[in-house]
This record gives sequence, C-alpha cells and structure tokens, in this order.
Amino acid sequence: MITNDFDAIVIGSGAGGAPIAQRLTLAGKSVLILEKGPLLQPQYLSEDGLSDFKRDELFATGPEKRIGIEGVANRGKAYFSSHVEPDLNDEPHIYRENDNLEYATLEGYTAQVIGGGTQLYGAVHLRFTTTDFRLQSFNDGRTDLRADPDGEVRREARDWPISYDDLEPYYCQVEELVGINGTSNNQLKAFSIDNLQQPLTPNPISAYAHQGMVIQGEQYRHQGQPVSPYRTPLAVITEDHAPSNRKVPAERDSIRSSYVNRYGDPLGLKSSTWVSLLAPVADRPNLAIWCNCVVTLLRHQGDRVTEVVFRDPSGQEQVLQVKAGAVVVVACSAIESVRLLQLSELADQEFSRRINPNNLLGRYFLTHCFGGAETAVVGNPASFPPLQFDKSASLDSDWAIDYPASEDFLQEFGLWAGAAIYNNTSDQALPLSLARTHGSQDIDTIWQTFDAGFWQSSDPSLPADQRSHPLHGQGMIDFFRENFGTRLSVSFMANQVPLPSNRIELHRTVVDKWNRPVALIIKDWHSHDRYLMDVLANQCREILRLGNANPNPDGIESGGIYMAGNARARIANHILGGARFGLDRNDSVLNRDCRAWDFDNLYVTDGSFMPTSGGANPTHTIEANAFRVADHLLNRL
Amino acid sequence: MLVRQKCIFAMASIPLVKLSEIYVLNVATKHLAREILPARNTYGDAFPAGDPRGQISEAWRFPIIDRYANTPSLAGDEQLNKVTFVVRDSDLGGPKEVAVIGSFAGLYEQIPLQPVLFMGEPTGFRACSLLVPKQQLHIYRFMVDGQPRIDPINPQQRQLDNGSVWSLFFTEACSELITFQPWEARLLARLTEQILPFRTGDGEQFLKNHVNFLDRQTAANRFPLSYRLDNSVGAVNFIDKILSREERHHRSNYRICLGIIDTLLRERNSFVDTHLMSREMYAELYEQMLSGPDGTVPGWPYGEYGRPRFFMELVRRHTYTGAFSHPKYGGNAGAAGWQFLASRYPFDWQAALEAPLGRNTDYRG
Repeated sequence: MITNDFDAIVIGSGAGGAPIAQRLTLAGKSVLILEKGPLLQPQYLSEDGLSDFKRDELFATGPEKRIGIEGVANRGKAYFSSHVEPDLNDEPHIYRENDNLEYATLEGYTAQVIGGGTQLYGAVHLRFTTTDFRLQSFNDGRTDLRADPDGEVRREARDWPISYDDLEPYYCQVEELVGINGTSNNQLKAFSIDNLQQPLTPNPISAYAHQGMVIQGEQYRHQGQPVSPYRTPLAVITEDHAPSNRKVPAERDSIRSSYVNRYGDPLGLKSSTWVSLLAPVADRPNLAIWCNCVVTLLRHQGDRVTEVVFRDPSGQEQVLQVKAGAVVVVACSAIESVRLLQLSELADQEFSRRINPNNLLGRYFLTHCFGGAETAVVGNPASFPPLQFDKSASLDSDWAIDYPASEDFLQEFGLWAGAAIYNNTSDQALPLSLARTHGSQDIDTIWQTFDAGFWQSSDPSLPADQRSHPLHGQGMIDFFRENFGTRLSVSFMANQVPLPSNRIELHRTVVDKWNRPVALIIKDWHSHDRYLMDVLANQCREILRLGNANPNPDGIESGGIYMAGNARARIANHILGGARFGLDRNDSVLNRDCRAWDFDNLYVTDGSFMPTSGGANPTHTIEANAFRVADHLLNRL
Repeated sequence: MLVRQKCIFAMASIPLVKLSEIYVLNVATKHLAREILPARNTYGDAFPAGDPRGQISEAWRFPIIDRYANTPSLAGDEQLNKVTFVVRDSDLGGPKEVAVIGSFAGLYEQIPLQPVLFMGEPTGFRACSLLVPKQQLHIYRFMVDGQPRIDPINPQQRQLDNGSVWSLFFTEACSELITFQPWEARLLARLTEQILPFRTGDGEQFLKNHVNFLDRQTAANRFPLSYRLDNSVGAVNFIDKILSREERHHRSNYRICLGIIDTLLRERNSFVDTHLMSREMYAELYEQMLSGPDGTVPGWPYGEYGRPRFFMELVRRHTYTGAFSHPKYGGNAGAAGWQFLASRYPFDWQAALEAPLGRNTDYRG
C-alpha cells in the first residue's frame, strides 16, 4: 500500500481533470494526477528538442490491425487507430447494433495520453447557449415539437442545476488560461470578457461557406439583428500566451499546418490541457503526475472513498490510501468513468447502493446529433474540374454561425434545442487522409471505401451511368483532380434527446487485458433526433449552395449521422452523460457540485456530468465546469 | 546481407543514449503490461498458436525506432535513429542480467540493458537506447545470464547461412530488401505501376523531371539520403518493410499471390521473364483480378488462394500509402509522391515539414 498526503487525487488529465489539478496546485494543495496514458511532449518541453508527436499521417492513424475479440460480429475485421488510442483487442468498447449483434468499436474513446482528448481533437471550443442550460423549462408547455409522438422529448429534457450566467465567468477563464483564438462578436452567447486571441487568415476555400452562412443568417433575428458568422473559436494559440509560457512562431500563418484533428501538436500550439494548464505547474513540489497508471477500482468506507486501486506501469496492482479530508475526482472520459464506477459497484454492494440508488448510473448516455454537408467546390456558374485550394494550410475550422440556436429557428422548425454550424477546413487536406476517409469520416471505417476501389466522378460531361471510375492509374489522377484540395464540408453539432435506454453497461463476458469487464454501449437515435438532423443537414447544404460552393443541391452530399451504416456506434468523440448532475437526488447521480450524492469526497467532472449534451462541441464546457468545481473544492479543502 | 556499422565515433563502438525511464514506460506499459489473455493480437495468422507475441499489443513496435537529435538546437544528428531495446523479466524466466549484441556493435560487444524503475522500484522491464544510422538493417540477440537468445517480443527474425536465428530490425528509410526476394520485388513493382499514376504520360514526364530535381537537391545537400527512384517511387520498398514490421499478418498473402501471378504470367507468355513482360499483360491481369466477382481470372488456382481481388485491394492500399507517406517509411522516394501532387495542385507540403525534407524552421521532425 502507498500511503500519502494528497489532498486531491485526480483520475484523468484531460478536459475534466486538468483544470482542477491546476487550480488546486496553484492554491498550494497537494495533488496527484493518475493518468492511464503516456506523457508525450511537445518540442519545447523535450530534452532533445524533438516532440513525441509527429506531423506524419501514418504515425497518427497507423497500420492495419485486426479485431481478435471473441464473440463480436466484426471479429477478423481490419481497424486502424492512433498511437494514443487504446489497442482495441486489449480494451474494446462493444456496442449493440440493431440486429442485436455486438461489435467492437473504437468509438467512445477520446485519447489515452496526458491531456486526454485535448491532444488529438480539432480544438473547436464553443460555449453552450443560454437555452442549452434550461431545455426542460424552454420546452415546457410547447405543443409544436415535431417528430415526438409520445412526448418523450419534453418528458426527458432537463435543466442543468447551473445556468449560463453561473458558468460564464469560467468560460472566460478557459479562454484566458487555455488559450483560444476566434471572435466573440456575432456569437449568440454573451461574453462578459473577450479573452480570445486573433484568428489567423482563413483558408480561401472557407469563403464558399462564409457567404452561405451570411445569407442564411440574415433570415433569423437575435435581439433585432440578423445573425452573422464569426471566426470559430479554436484552442490553438496565435499569439504568445503568457499563462502557459508558450510562444508562437515568427511566421504566424505557419501555425495553419492542417496536422490538427487527430494529431498531437509537436509545437504545443494546440492548447491541450498538458501544455496549457499542467506543464506550467508540473515542477511544483505539491503536484505529482503518475502516468502509465490505470485506476481499476475505488473502495470506500461509509461515505468516503478511501482507496484508489491502480495498476502501475509494470502492471503491478497498487493501492493508494485516500487520507481523511481528501477528495477523489474521476475524469476519465464518460464511458470509462462510468465503467470505473460500475466496476467499483460490482465489487461492493454498499458502493453500489451509494453510487447508484436510482439505477441512473450509465443511463442517459449522450453524444451529439451531428452531420452536415459536403461538396467539391465548383463555383457558380459551376466549373469542371472543381476549384482547387491548398487545404494543407489550415486549422480545423474558419467560420461558425449560431442562427440554428436562435429561438426563431427553433420555433420555425419545431425543434427542442439548437445547434452550431461551422465549416471544416483541415479534413482530407493531406493525401493519406483523403484516401482513407473518402466516403466515410468515422474511425471504424477508415480505408473501407478506398479499398472497394471505385469512386464517383461529378464530371457533368459524362452520363450518370459512366461516372464510376477505378482508383488506379489514370483513374487515380482523375480522383486527385476532382477531390484533392477541392472538398468543403459544413457541419452541425446539436443536442441529442436524452433517453434512459441509451446507456453504458458492463459487458457480461468480454474482459480487457486486466480481466475487467469492458463497456457495452447501447444507444439509438430518437425520432426527433433524426428529424433535427435532417433539418440541420439541409441547412448545411443550403449554406454550401448559397455560398456558391455548388449551385446544384443534388451535387451536395448531406445527412445526419443516424443514416450511417454503423449509426448506433457513432459518437464523434463527444462522450457525455451517464452520471448526470442535478438538484434532485432521485433524478441524478451527482449533485450541483458534481459530487456523488451519497459520497462525501467523490466527484466526477468529465463529460459524464451533462444531463443534456449542448448544441456545440463539449470540451469548452467540460473545462469551464471543471474550473467551477475546482472553486468549490477549494472551499472545502 | 549483414551491414557492418562504420565507426563514426572514436571512443565507443556504438553510441549510447541515456536511458529515459518514462520514455520506455510510455510504450512498454501500453503494449506489454497485461494479465494473461487469450491471444487476440494474432491478426489471423501472424503468429503461430502459443506464441506469446499474439498476446502482446503491437509486438512490432520493439525495438523502438525513433528520431534523435543531439541537443535541442543542434541539427547535425538527423542521420541517426535512436533504437531502444526492451525486454520483460517475465519472458526470460525472471530477473536476469541482460545485454544486447548486434551487428551495429561488432556482434560481440555486450551492451547491458538497465532495469527500468517506477518510483524507485523495478518494473520488470529492462531497456537500453543506442544510436544507429538511418537506412540500415541489423541483426541482434540478447545475452541472458550469458546465454544467447532471440528477442522474445520483436517478431522480425533472420536465419543465417550457418542456421542460427537472430532477431532483426531496420532503421528509417532502409532500402535493403527484407521480406521479398528480388524477383518478388520486381514483379510487385510491375503491379504497383498499374496503380500509381506514373505510367501515364504526365506521370512519366514528372518522374523524369523529378530525378533532375533530386540531383540538384543532393548536390546542394538538401536531400542527404540517397533515393532510388523507380516507377513505384519506393512503394515496393515501403511494402517490403511494412510486411516485415507493422503488417506481418499479410506476408502470406504476398508470398502466395506473387508466386501464383508469376506462374500465371509465364503460362500466358513463356518467352519473356515476368518482370519484363509488357504493360498490357499486366494491365490485363490487373483488370481481371479486380473486376467481377472472385472466380473470373483465367488460370488462377482458386483452390490455393480464393480471393485474388482481396489481394489487389491490399496491394492498392499499400502502394498508395507507400507513395504518399513520409519517406522515413521507405516509400515516397525523394518525396516524389508529394511533389507529384504539388506539381499539379496547390499543395505546399514543404511548409509544414521538417528540414531538409521540408522548409519549416520551427518543426524539427
């Protein structure tokens, strides 16, 4: 047993854990971070000046591996993963398809590394809207909601136990301390302080989305003004960032490298929680970071978690005592946090009674309704071949717009909750990603369309039945001509209807490399979700059409994620819910401070605390909430 | 096939690098630490039944081959790779004295592996890091309490003429064949020609110009590694390497199918060596293998290998990846794949990448 003097034990170093660890460390508390993944450094923190992250497509999404897990329907199938995603055969997530077969999936993992998902994400950092925090109240009494014949949406919508105004100061803190660039003007959320750094020059391809956003936004009013686009807030610094001692290159435009989404940043300009929050305090004597250590179980006595059981880097089981008065913060990303709590309750009935008295743990698991539209940019009048841009000089997104979150829009379409729309720029910018994500952008189907060997040309001079070309020789040249640097996509990110049937359970037979049951994901889309996605995908298509990306709407692919073959698995790395917070102990797992109701010292601060998923990417809100919980912890430590 | 290390450094026969425990654990914990599991990582038949490598995640990662730089600011050492050997006590029957010997250090010099500690306690891993020039291939063994044995983790091996089996690794951009016999490589090059764009008029012209471009770069010392530029732009070399290392489970597909293709082509034309046959012969075979359902390639022995189409799809993914991945993997020779795209489309690949390959002065690779 390891005894210790830690005031706080934080499990997970990503968006949910790092803000707490940093705040408590700066306040002089004794803090331990236990992180399952490795510590990978940017150049400026590395002894030999070389980063552990590389601008290398094959390094980032690696060679072919094969699923070898017993009993899953996709056993033997190929899969590809990042060097900081888990080995699927060692640690699968399993999901249940609507044919009742079970499949291993990489979905539901962010990244396992110091910094968690913030090392790999595209870094879109949007605030939630005021309405996102109060969807139950907002929808109370509405009779105009579409595609909800049984009234489930109104029944299951929940208000957060905090308001936008409660969280707003913490949003400002994230923008300041983490390091975000973008513009606040034209966002439909009030900013009390604007801490955003200057965005970089947009990629020229984005103009074809921007114009469409302007035209669509003009139809909607917010406080009497048309809604206009704004520069997408991205957690990439564009100016020297004093809180984290990071400096930007002299040639600022070189920051747009397109090695962003699914790449750790060798220069540390992407504001992962490591470079922005933890590295600046890592040398302090009161902060310990034990990486390559995975927590496997929590034990308690009465209302206190008293032991944290973990595997050290050798695989040896160790037990950490939690001293009196200390707190334990679980922030491993929603599926794994829920799983840790479920494994702990499996081992101890009394733990189960305390953490899960209402059978809510694991339930109301959430992702986002997402999807969008995509086309090769042909201009107006349409030219062929399509227009070409150097998409390799880009970050993840240039323009965003909030009109799908306005009340006008929600009333017009009978939607329960809103969304943000933004364009993508770095997707398919490089040759390997162009090929391996052609036809599909999710991580379970990488290379699949390319392997099938054919692609559809949009050459208008060819009859429709002669547009299928092979992916070799001259066909490959034509493939590049039509697809390399030509494609523009616009995405939406929307609230998903919470359902108790969407849940995480422990699998009854499949175990991980430590012989612990793995997570089973059971989820589906509500009819209102599908309807909402249809509406928003159509908006994205209109944006591209009106932006002159393609005057022909039939030439624009669009859709919501529910249409994908593996729709039930699709999570887009936004892993939320399963341990929602609330004011009513009979209706939530955590209280307003993200503390488990019947534990004195157990907190959960990754995305699992969310009762609704927000109409935007979640990291900004997870980090802001973590800072909020940190303030609460400082009041008790 | 042995490559003798030229001694660059006067004092030690092989330069060592100070062992970083966290560096080792960053890889060893994820891939090696585990309870005993069913063998899920065999990927079909990469490992025989009972081989413990089938229970390890990505056994091919060992030894770890990585970039190296002498100091944070000096850029003079990019010709070397850092090679880190890792063993588990549990594979050797318990804690033992372990050293590595190899062709990078004269075959007899023993370089000890150090115990890797966590919080001052042994983890059961031992490791050492040393520097080896890029573009090389080496054999090695571990000496465990004085007894030689091959690496229990790295699946790459070579049997020498005297029958002894040694473990094997290669460093970045190695162009010595490991998986393929020369005839297999030549035949595969003809297949890759059908896939890549360089046999078209535009593509051929590009290659001609690119060779001149590379000559000028080499003369100016911008491309210090030599590149053998052929129509596969290094894709065959890439495939040779990925089949030895990351995708060993596909070796049998190539072994069997290249043999069948060689025989098939000889049956179609008995007068010419297969690798010298016309493009039309290859184009015809390629189309047959790809088109229609499996079962439509005249003369194909379906009893021996049932899915020629699957094989060509595999070759296509490998070829494409070989042509457009970073040259350190052995393909995209002289960045020809990237330059081909940049010559036709707006694609300033050099802006983001490390010198001397690219021109970014912040990112060091």
